Amino acid sequence: MKKIIIGDHIVKAFGEGDEQRNVLDGVSVEINEGEFVSVMGSSGSGKSTLMFALSGMDGFDGGKVVFDSRDLSAVGENELSDIRRTKMGFVFQQPTMLKNLNILDNIILPSMRGNRKNVVKISEKARALMKRVGIAELEKRDIIQVSGGQLQRAGICRALMNSPKIIFGDEPTGSLNSKSAQEIMDIFSEINADGTSVMLVTHDAKVAARTERIMFMRDGKIVSELKLPKFDGMDMDGRLEKVTVKMLEIGI
Amino acid sequence: MYFRIIRNDILKSKAITLTTMIFVAAASMLVSLAAILVVNLSGALDTLMTQAKTPHFMQMHSGDIDTARLKSFAEQNNNVEEYQVVEFLGMDGTQIILGDHSLSDSVQDNGFSIQNEKFDYLLDLNGNIINVSDGELYVPITYMRDNTVSVGDKAVINGKEFTVSGFLRDSTMNSSLSASKRFLVSNKDFAEIKELGSIEYLIEFKLKDFSAIGEFETAYASAGLEANGPTVTYTLFKTMNAISDGMLIAVILLVCALVVAIAFMSIRFTLLAKIEDDYREIGVMKAIGLRLSDIKKIYLAKYAGIAAAGSIFGFIFSLMFQGMLLENIRLYMGESENSSVALVLGIIGILLVFLAIVTYVNFVLKRFQKISAAEAIRFGTSQEKIAGAKRFTLIRNRLFSTNIFLGIKDVLARKRLYATMLVVLVISAFIMIVPQNLYNTISSKSFIQYMGIGNYDLRIQTNISDKTNEIVKTIDSDSAVSKYTVLTTKTFKVKTSNGSEENIKVELGDHAAFPIEYSEGRAPARDDEIALSVINAGEMSKKVGDYLTLVIEGKEKYLTVTGIYSDVTNGGKTAKAVFTDNSANVMWTIICVELSDKSLIDSRVSGYSDKFDFAKTSDIDEYVSQTLGSTINSVEMASYTAVAFALVITVLVTLLFMKMLVAKDRYSIAVMKALGFTNSDIKAQYVSRSVFVLIVGIILGTLLANTLGEVLAGALISSFGASKFNFTVNPFNAYLLSPLMMIFTVLIATMIGTSSAGKIKISENIKE
Repeated sequence: MKKIIIGDHIVKAFGEGDEQRNVLDGVSVEINEGEFVSVMGSSGSGKSTLMFALSGMDGFDGGKVVFDSRDLSAVGENELSDIRRTKMGFVFQQPTMLKNLNILDNIILPSMRGNRKNVVKISEKARALMKRVGIAELEKRDIIQVSGGQLQRAGICRALMNSPKIIFGDEPTGSLNSKSAQEIMDIFSEINADGTSVMLVTHDAKVAARTERIMFMRDGKIVSELKLPKFDGMDMDGRLEKVTVKMLEIGI
Repeated sequence: MYFRIIRNDILKSKAITLTTMIFVAAASMLVSLAAILVVNLSGALDTLMTQAKTPHFMQMHSGDIDTARLKSFAEQNNNVEEYQVVEFLGMDGTQIILGDHSLSDSVQDNGFSIQNEKFDYLLDLNGNIINVSDGELYVPITYMRDNTVSVGDKAVINGKEFTVSGFLRDSTMNSSLSASKRFLVSNKDFAEIKELGSIEYLIEFKLKDFSAIGEFETAYASAGLEANGPTVTYTLFKTMNAISDGMLIAVILLVCALVVAIAFMSIRFTLLAKIEDDYREIGVMKAIGLRLSDIKKIYLAKYAGIAAAGSIFGFIFSLMFQGMLLENIRLYMGESENSSVALVLGIIGILLVFLAIVTYVNFVLKRFQKISAAEAIRFGTSQEKIAGAKRFTLIRNRLFSTNIFLGIKDVLARKRLYATMLVVLVISAFIMIVPQNLYNTISSKSFIQYMGIGNYDLRIQTNISDKTNEIVKTIDSDSAVSKYTVLTTKTFKVKTSNGSEENIKVELGDHAAFPIEYSEGRAPARDDEIALSVINAGEMSKKVGDYLTLVIEGKEKYLTVTGIYSDVTNGGKTAKAVFTDNSANVMWTIICVELSDKSLIDSRVSGYSDKFDFAKTSDIDEYVSQTLGSTINSVEMASYTAVAFALVITVLVTLLFMKMLVAKDRYSIAVMKALGFTNSDIKAQYVSRSVFVLIVGIILGTLLANTLGEVLAGALISSFGASKFNFTVNPFNAYLLSPLMMIFTVLIATMIGTSSAGKIKISENIKE
């Protein structure tokens, strides 16, 4: 199985002198192509920091990250931007949309950079994605005119626009009600079923239980891992139980 | 608690607080300086004119004088308090050598006088009446200012040696605008050099009641007394003495108004941005029951603090700079008696600036009323609909690159925020272009049409009428001359609408030879026709077709006004007619000459100058530049200063705005970066924001400069006697160079202002 991301002994420190503390304390992670993984941990465990490091959004102090066979620490700032734009997709807890643009413009934004000639193709793709996640009728709305769940779907569309190799989700259901959260998770499963790798950061056991590998973090280290079969819509309760048992076992 | 909130807020935005304070300090300094200057100028002027006992009415006269008649007029007119006739010994500049310098190039009419007995005293630099001894020479202060001579130097007047013993203040001729300058010598020395120059008489009156000056002037004119020369009254002396410093004050006030406007703009901008930032907090405060006035107090207190600090600094600066600006007033007029009043007035001016700022902040804060607590807490931002620009979407955009689109879109979506920057840029473009256009207009060849001069090559002017024929004979026999005409200026009496008589200068001769442009009507062609300058027509309220009555040798002559023309020479008060007259004295004669070969102009000018040393020969371009030279120079200086000032303001404001925007937009910048936009993409977006605002600003500023600016400049020029006024625009400077300079400065400022955008960390800013 080809690895899409290899994180090797990543160290990231915050603070100075006696106050210094490793938020990532030599973390090693590997994610396979087409894999659906999640990282769990309480707040401050370093799970979001790990995601920022793996996606090249933030630097780190030790170790290395290889994405799609390229060492990210050897890549310049501009190339990192290009990689994020063309090969990665991001979904955040708060919908990170630009206030000035309507929903459709927000979705196509990352695809339009230096690619304006293909606007027809791009908008066709955006409309198809919007239809797929059920927000086809919202394209002309301002972002303040739609609900949180709808906005999160738009965010997923934006993440999918450039057909990324991996989607990172940082608490993507954190601010949604349970029905919306479930619908969003269904979309992630669908995306994954199409072959895109997905890595979610969450403290919600229900979210983690939908993924096939769960890494548990505490104090900047991965302390345990749980493997589950690919989710097929069945036995959600059983999966959830396994996750919660593991959580109790390692005490997070 | 309020104090802590404010202190933290100021510490967080040091650069912005500082910039706002600098603007407030600059505005306060200028207001205070203007007040100090006004008080000192008027005080010093009063002191000077009181100490010197400036005449209320002065008639300059060259030619014969009937002192007995003047004396009886003075005795019979019961408003006359004192009267004297003073001799002014005019001398050619080449005959006056001060130290190492000869005054041969001086444009002034230099002359010699003795100390007066009754009034119109010449004062030393301490304000005392000078007591001059034999062999001593007192020199007008102008020549001290331009370092021509210093005390103790030798002076040679037409071969006779003097020692420069000091400098003098002359309340009637101090001003550089006054064409004559008086040197002071002893009675004995005066008698010795008297034969070497030409005597002009200054007929001076001191009145019991100055408010009746109008009646006195009429009485003097009606009595048919000596009047071959300019008439000057006390008011005009005062104006001439005050004008150069008055202009300085006017400029300071103008700049001050601009700085205040810009201070307001930056306060508005920072305040709006702050309100947007604090939207949720304001909502929370409202929700937990704080009164609107309590919340306002926090913001008001901060700006009141900044304004107070700025005002105090401004006042201190004004005290530091006042000496420099008062130097001129002190030198020419002496100390003012009421300098303490000046400080008080300065403080009052600063208080006004302070109050205006506080009131303005209070006005901007009215926006708080519109903030809904519920909305603020739920969404954290204003839910106001984004007005307009809804159709301007990325998906329909075919014109711009994505970065440029995002920049423009941001401007359109946050118009209120960018309006502030726009206004400043419009002002900058305006103050950059208007002085340039004005300079270009008055220095252009076509400006001659405002001077009442026809299109010829050289002019020879003489005040000695007997020698006119000699010149005409030479010109007539010169084969290089293709055309010439003789224009003679004389003073006549004209009947005003209320029946009294006034003097009017009329230029007689053939006005068809070198026609000028008439703003209304045409040139006079018959003996009973006359054309008036704009100012004369205005003062006499005459229109084309009206009648005018001249009184010549006691007989009334009726003339029809055929035309009105612009003239900025001779105080703008002239007239042109064709009738012949042998009664009145000739004031001066001008021979206008056109040459068949223009390349001969230089040689003819020097040839005629040598030949007619009693006359002034000048090439017409040179004449224009000499007449308007100093004005053109100061307008040119002003236009450069304006450009520099505008650019500095543009840089400061753009820097401030960009720094604020980056701080405000941290979140969206982080989002963009997370989505894979590079730092240079983000920079490109900011540059397109400022360039977009700038382009709109330049267009509006240029339009405004050519409409409102032209009207303003026209009003200024028309006060000197021009009629309709149009800018002569140098398109290269006004439409290419100036915008380019602005674009360049804005680009640089944007680059510097947004450099911190590159340092924004995604991980620190993307979480709300």
